[in-house]
Amino acid sequence: MLDQCFALLWIIGKIICVLVPVIVCVALLTLLERKVIGAMQVRVGPNRNGIAGSLQPICDVLKLLAKELIIPSKASRYLFIIAPVLALAPALAAWAVIPFTNDWVIANVNAGILVVFAMTSLGIYGIIIAGWSSNSKYAFLGALRSVAQVVSYEIAMGFTFVGVLLAAGSMNLREIVLHQSGGIWHWYFLPLFPLFVVYWISAVAETNRAPFDIAEGESEIVAGFHVEYSGIMFGIFFLAEYANMILVSALAALLFMGGWLSPFAGIPYLDHWFSWVPSVLWLVLKMSFFIFLYFWMRATFPRYRYDQIMQLGWKCLIPVALVWIVLVAVAVQMGWIFH
Amino acid sequence: MHMLTEYFSIFLLVIVGLIMGVAPMLLSRKLGPSRPNPEKLSPYECGFNAFEDARMPFNVRYYLVAILFIIFDLETAFLFPWAVSLRRIHWFGFVSMMLFLAILVVGFIYEWKRGALEWE
Amino acid sequence: MAPLPIPDILFVIASVALITSAVLVVTIRNPVRSVLSLVLCFLFTTILWLLLQAEFLSLVLIFVYIGAVMTLFMFVVMMMHVDKRMLSEKFVSYLPLGVGLLVVFVGLIVYALHHHNFTKAAYVMPHFPANYHNTESLGAVLYTHYVLAFEMASVILLVALLAAISLVFQGRQSGKSQCVDKQIQAKKKDRLVVIDMKSEAP
Repeated sequence: MLDQCFALLWIIGKIICVLVPVIVCVALLTLLERKVIGAMQVRVGPNRNGIAGSLQPICDVLKLLAKELIIPSKASRYLFIIAPVLALAPALAAWAVIPFTNDWVIANVNAGILVVFAMTSLGIYGIIIAGWSSNSKYAFLGALRSVAQVVSYEIAMGFTFVGVLLAAGSMNLREIVLHQSGGIWHWYFLPLFPLFVVYWISAVAETNRAPFDIAEGESEIVAGFHVEYSGIMFGIFFLAEYANMILVSALAALLFMGGWLSPFAGIPYLDHWFSWVPSVLWLVLKMSFFIFLYFWMRATFPRYRYDQIMQLGWKCLIPVALVWIVLVAVAVQMGWIFH
Repeated sequence: MHMLTEYFSIFLLVIVGLIMGVAPMLLSRKLGPSRPNPEKLSPYECGFNAFEDARMPFNVRYYLVAILFIIFDLETAFLFPWAVSLRRIHWFGFVSMMLFLAILVVGFIYEWKRGALEWE
Repeated sequence: MAPLPIPDILFVIASVALITSAVLVVTIRNPVRSVLSLVLCFLFTTILWLLLQAEFLSLVLIFVYIGAVMTLFMFVVMMMHVDKRMLSEKFVSYLPLGVGLLVVFVGLIVYALHHHNFTKAAYVMPHFPANYHNTESLGAVLYTHYVLAFEMASVILLVALLAAISLVFQGRQSGKSQCVDKQIQAKKKDRLVVIDMKSEAP
């Protein structure tokens, strides 16, 4: 029994080691997003609290905590309170199977990619319940739109996973990364390039971010499903959204960009010069690139119209992914690639 | 047994995630004020009182999207083990999946031609 | 101290919770809450299946049943306006039928439990070697040995797809949607006519 207590503490320790950096990252991202978009629009962004606005995230959290929690009189009370929790828990739970280095992962399960897929599909309950329990038209319409959109892009995302599984022959995220070892030309984004593009577009749509942020389009349905939420309850939705953003970035790095592997592996001199870099740093750099891509897309593209979003998902991404899966499968069967 | 311990840590992480959601709300209840009034608690609707119940019937298209999602989600569920075991099941397994996909693509084309994917 | 039998404890907790939420599904009046307790049912079933080491099926249960089927249920329940009085009337009128079905169902379960292969010895926790891959083993038989059932599944899905579209979808309403390819293909001469005419005095 003592052994079990130690094992439990060990697991909890690992969970803390993963969750604390994720939450710190979310805090940093809120600041970084405003700074990056500010720079892209030739503004300064937040610059009052601390050096160059560095204390802004802390101030935001304290402000949200000190605000009143308003529960609308017509809302279904318990469901209204539970909705943000249901949005956050799956977004954090999916981190259990994300490997940061070769042996640094909370749960090294065989069906890792399936766990991530299952957890992201649970995320819609936060949206549906928030929209329904608020008993407000804007929230209800926002939730409907958001769910239909997330659900459509989830299929495209699942198909891209199938492509990666074909290439790696395993569902374990660690093994998928190890299959890409041996240099940048072994990373899956090259042979699976169309799937990589489809994955990224559906990842952005899945997290309800610009240019697919129709669910919370400020100018038409105010804030979508969380219009009635105030204070820290809104903050939890926010945390869930950003945790999801980092998650899909990490997944993009693991599935298509070789995870923690060095991009210089196999190149004569560069490989040696960069051998001191810890492997987790490569993963962080790759994730940062994808997160930057989020901000870049938000600053660049105008918002999609709803009918165009649905058409893009169903009529473009799904057929493209399906055709590429078949091609990859043929190539694997013929023994041309991915031995 | 090994698999169960791994899944147990995922289970623990779900519980930690639930706590992470509940704890700030409890904290905020202590820290934040609570001064409700009827106007503040009324549902948001551009400055006037709500005309009717917010839980109104909606376009049947959303319902259709949900059904299509189930069907394609099941298709993905069938694709996952196929992709993993393709090297073991050889051409026979490959052809059986192609037949499966072909049958479903017929449905997809019908759906497309019927205009069920158009939104206006 | 002896190690705690955690799988057994989890089994008991999950099965009690499963039965409780299953009872709640039929006793709760509010349809949305009833659907949510059905979701809970599936979650606890997932735990039970994981204890049997059915990794793939339990995760499929989450993303197909909870992620997709229950979303549809939510949509349906949110869409219809249920009159609560009517519900209780129907409850009484359907009671005899329900009791009849219950008797048949319980009878079936008792028969199954009496069946000789349902002994305690046959139901120990499964043990698999460390390199056992649930999904891969499933795939190895599903597409070869059970290929007929597999293809039948696709036909069933096709029928469901066609039925859903023809039942739900009444054809395109006279929409105002733009048709991009028609817009691009439009030529100047289709839209614009230049006429020669003499200027007229007002």
